[in-house]
Amino acid sequence: MRWHTPKLMPRRAFLETVGLAATTCSGLARAPAAQQRTKVIDCHAHLQHHSRRSWQEDDRKLIEAADKLGIDQLCCSILTPRQPATAEGFRECNQWMAEGMQRFPGRVLGYCYVNPGYGREALDEVRRSVEERGFIGVKLYNEYRATEPVVWPIVELTIELRVPILHHAGHSLSLGEEQPRISDGGHLAELARRYPEAVLICGHIGGGGDWEWTIKALRNAPTVYLDTSGSVIDEGIIEMAARVLGADRLVFGCDNSMTGGVGKLRAASLSAADRQGILGGNMRRILGRRGTK
Amino acid sequence: MIDVNAYLGHFAFRQLRHNTAAGLLRLMDSRRIERAVVSSASAITYRNSQSGNEEVAEEVKGRRDRLIPLAVINPFYAGWRDDLKICHEEFGMKGLRMYPRWHNYRLADPACLDLVSEAAERGMVISIPVRVEDRRQRSWLLDVPDVPLEEIADLVRARPRAQYILVNGTGFVNSPLGRENSGLPSNYAIEISRLSAVMANEIGQLVANLGSGRIVFGTGMPFNYPDPALVKLEVLEAGEDVKEQIRWRNVARLLGLPSAAK
Repeated sequence: MRWHTPKLMPRRAFLETVGLAATTCSGLARAPAAQQRTKVIDCHAHLQHHSRRSWQEDDRKLIEAADKLGIDQLCCSILTPRQPATAEGFRECNQWMAEGMQRFPGRVLGYCYVNPGYGREALDEVRRSVEERGFIGVKLYNEYRATEPVVWPIVELTIELRVPILHHAGHSLSLGEEQPRISDGGHLAELARRYPEAVLICGHIGGGGDWEWTIKALRNAPTVYLDTSGSVIDEGIIEMAARVLGADRLVFGCDNSMTGGVGKLRAASLSAADRQGILGGNMRRILGRRGTK
Repeated sequence: MIDVNAYLGHFAFRQLRHNTAAGLLRLMDSRRIERAVVSSASAITYRNSQSGNEEVAEEVKGRRDRLIPLAVINPFYAGWRDDLKICHEEFGMKGLRMYPRWHNYRLADPACLDLVSEAAERGMVISIPVRVEDRRQRSWLLDVPDVPLEEIADLVRARPRAQYILVNGTGFVNSPLGRENSGLPSNYAIEISRLSAVMANEIGQLVANLGSGRIVFGTGMPFNYPDPALVKLEVLEAGEDVKEQIRWRNVARLLGLPSAAK
């Protein structure tokens, strides 16, 4: 018996050729080739905290992985090793993030990470990071639920600055034990109802537990985007999200699970236009709001 | 390519697509995967796993050139020796999968060791899924932890004549199973679906530590999308000879497939 050896794909071709290797399993018809290469934007990535001895090498490996996989830009944050972050802790992270943006110019875009519990200090940090340092948005983690009033001033500021909030999220029995104030899709939908002008990104559908629950919870929250990142590569996850929310509400991400993040987008049965939107077009639209009226 | 980590049937907690033989073969064709090692997803939660084995045996009829069935055996369920005999001798299954946490036992339990010994006597490989799905998305009905790698290391040491294929695992490089000169027998292969190929590059580390003959390709279809595992092989910095071993040669040898003699 002869075994088939697939042709190796040239570097940086993984995502520009998505839809060629993948087929729709209903009809198994080959999807049409993408007309033009989309700038691929990973909306959810992390540079390493500098307490980690190997942070420089790890950051470099992230860029190398993006090179191999055809990812053009990475929207990154740096988190404190433990939460809740102190004001000093998140300011330090954001300073390193600003330096990371300089180390990898045009390649790494920065989210400003804050703990909303620090009130004025958190607000000042967000404004300074966006207006003076070119950060593209705000990263919120699990210090508070998205629905708690302490978060509202941060949301109002992002509306003013016209930048998104990437919110850590998960609906999970096990995550809830470890992170009692983790937000889920329901909390983000509730926040979106209070602030329909805000642009919210619900983090890592593949890293937040019961993804079917999360997708359904976000159905009627049209201003909440969903990021595709996370290590979970369950078959059907992307198609369900596109079917229930619409592909224009999905944004590609890896959350540093690089081959899984790329592989599930390559595998999903999507139209070429939807795939391009998810890979970069939708995020580019979000980022394009900054500095406009 | 040969996928050592594939399934047929229903799973209790999530709808699976492409989970019939015809559906899985279409998915395999679309990814140029020639053969897959399959077992029953239903048998993971059936009390009597033999019903799942019977379903798989029926489903792969006429497709044995591409679908290689494994049994799911619970060594604490009545009649497991009869089931093993039927699966091996009547259904022609080349191995079995064990779910110690889903079936509520430990790999060191004497009944489990008996099952492994009998399988080894028959020349059947033993596939151990470290997990079925990510624990973060578990149902409210039950909480099934991953199989600890230390427990697997103890088993491969305790039953060195058996041949194991470890699937859906990660973190091997931090365990004796993935270390060079760990003193463990070389009677196990590690499947790549949850291993990294960039950044930490666990696949590359395992090739360096254990040798390229110990790493095998698998996707976890249809629980998982197949492409993440395919992408890993595509970006892995290794020679084409190493990739060929991972793609099919190693598992062909382990399962005694005809092409291994070429």
